[in-house]
Amino acid sequence: MFKILKSLSKSLTGHKPATEVKKPAEAPKGGVLNQVAKGNAAPAAPAKVKTPEELCEITPKMSKDEIRAQLKLLYRRFNRSASSLDAKVRGEAETMLNAIVDVREKHFGEI
Amino acid sequence: MAEYVGIDLGTTLSGLAYLKPDGNPEIVPNSDGERLTPSVVFFDSHEDVKLVGSAARDGGEPDRTIFQIKRHMDDPEHLVEIDGKKWTPAEISALILSKLKRDCSKICGDITDVVITVPANFNELARKSTIAAAEMAGMKVKRLVNEPTAAAVYYAHSQGVKGRILVYDLGGGTLDTTILEVEGDNIKILTSEGARHLGGSNFDDILLDAYAEQYKKQTGAALFSDERHRRRVLQATEDAKKMLSKLQRVNDTVANDQNSGIARIDLSREHFEKLIRNMLTRTVFLVEQALDSAKLKTSDIDHVVLVGGSTRIPKVKVILEKMFGKVPKSCGNVDECVALGAALFAKKSAKIQEVCNASYGTLAMVYNAKTKEEKLMNSIVIPKNTPIPCSRTQVYQTSEDNERIIEVDITQGEDPDAKYVDVIGRITLDVPAGRPKGCEIAVTFSYDENQRVRALIVDKQSGRSKEVAVSYKGAGVLSDEELKRRSAHLRAMRIE
Ligand SMILES: Nc1ncnc2c1ncn2[C@@H]1O[C@H](COP(=O)(O)OP(=O)(O)OP(=O)(O)O)[C@@H](O)[C@H]1O
Ligand SMILES: [Mg+2]
Repeated sequence: MFKILKSLSKSLTGHKPATEVKKPAEAPKGGVLNQVAKGNAAPAAPAKVKTPEELCEITPKMSKDEIRAQLKLLYRRFNRSASSLDAKVRGEAETMLNAIVDVREKHFGEI
Repeated sequence: MAEYVGIDLGTTLSGLAYLKPDGNPEIVPNSDGERLTPSVVFFDSHEDVKLVGSAARDGGEPDRTIFQIKRHMDDPEHLVEIDGKKWTPAEISALILSKLKRDCSKICGDITDVVITVPANFNELARKSTIAAAEMAGMKVKRLVNEPTAAAVYYAHSQGVKGRILVYDLGGGTLDTTILEVEGDNIKILTSEGARHLGGSNFDDILLDAYAEQYKKQTGAALFSDERHRRRVLQATEDAKKMLSKLQRVNDTVANDQNSGIARIDLSREHFEKLIRNMLTRTVFLVEQALDSAKLKTSDIDHVVLVGGSTRIPKVKVILEKMFGKVPKSCGNVDECVALGAALFAKKSAKIQEVCNASYGTLAMVYNAKTKEEKLMNSIVIPKNTPIPCSRTQVYQTSEDNERIIEVDITQGEDPDAKYVDVIGRITLDVPAGRPKGCEIAVTFSYDENQRVRALIVDKQSGRSKEVAVSYKGAGVLSDEELKRRSAHLRAMRIE
């Protein structure tokens, strides 16, 4: 596995890697302090509200250990974005943190 | 002159301690006779005076009162406008620090150099703003130290313990957990994890919603319609919360300011615990995260130490006891130990080994030989928990022929997914034309003891290089010039 600096592949060529991260629609606060967009914009009208399991991508086939590992990963991720300066990102993090707690309580009991 | 001074600039309460000649730290009260000063500033409209502390908190003009400014220290655009003047979070904090400096120096002597505490996961900008606030208040920051580290230093000093300690610091605005090893006078931090915006004031807000709901049910009216009244009820909910740390039940009555009648609030500890259970579960996740980061199990922890006013909530102790199988200890007064530890730290900093609180890296296209896929990822150069100060280098390659400009993004965060890290800066470097792809670029990040990062890129072939410290722009970020000007202005102000 080798690593290539991301920006190099697009410099001067105008070519953007397919996985190029989208910047938030609304400019992030703070000039050079730019923040990578956290996730894609939500679809205009979600057909149905996702359950906590769906939000956390927990499937019925997953073992307890897998669920635990998934919750840990998501907690780390969304605890971080809960302090983002972007209100939308914070809102999404709040929803996710609530879902993570719900799934934990359901599968591992209350604290 | 007080040689070793520590300041806990808290979200809700701030405190200053100094090291006495016998080597023990002591809290210095303010001129109002209080050991801790509420972190609240009031701008009077009649006189040219800024009130800081209880007087400010208990006054009744919400549009001229600033609470919890610490929550905005990382926001480069946050400005508070009073009488047409725009104040940055650093300036508001400087008013709080000025009061501490002026009041306390009457007791312990002149205060010039200080150690200030910050939440472990305060980012670069928030740390910079804290240093700027101290400068404006006429003090030089010897070191910034993480709050849980300071608390642990005090705990180790006062209890004479050794072994692995987990500090659980649940304050007014933030939760920090730190794991460290103590051996005599030497302290080694293993990891720190933090949750911003998780603290006592979240519990007050949850209770406020419960009060408003009860009020609506009983009277059919809204409990508050303006900020002034909301503040009052919020104070009542905080009082009720504190009572519930001692009593099983609290009865309260509330009214709005529209004569819609009085509602009776009957609150049990059990119900309160249920209301905040979601938040407390999040704190458990954070403790587990700290254990994972340090690759430890609960049984590897010798002492669980409680810090922060919100750890007075009995359920917090119950949860931690259940988790660790041992009774958590508190180091004396839970809301003073951070300042006390900071004063000790001012003297002992050489014996305390701290770590990098976040991972720093860059965005890179990572090629996976197995799947033959190329993916944009966060490529970490300095991993979290590396002992500091430190410096690490990672070599990358260019991917196109005839690259002319090299751009390196500086990321902060552990997530391998580029979507979930912050890009906190960027360096660009011009390189010679006409070279094939595959040229090597060395990226070096260094990290100082105030948890601030610098980046250096070197084009190996041409030897060209560029170094930058992360810098921030935004309405609330002051230039050095402006900082000097405002410092002079602030020193002439009446602050009480
Ligand atoms: N007896 C009690 N029961 C419950 N909560 C309490 C009690 N006493 C204080 N608190 C809460 O503790 C918080 C203040 O704690 P502390 O002084 O440690 O925070 P801080 O240092 O200002 O904040 P931070 O460390 O988050 O910046 C407030 O939210 C307060 O309501
Ligand atoms: Mg605190």
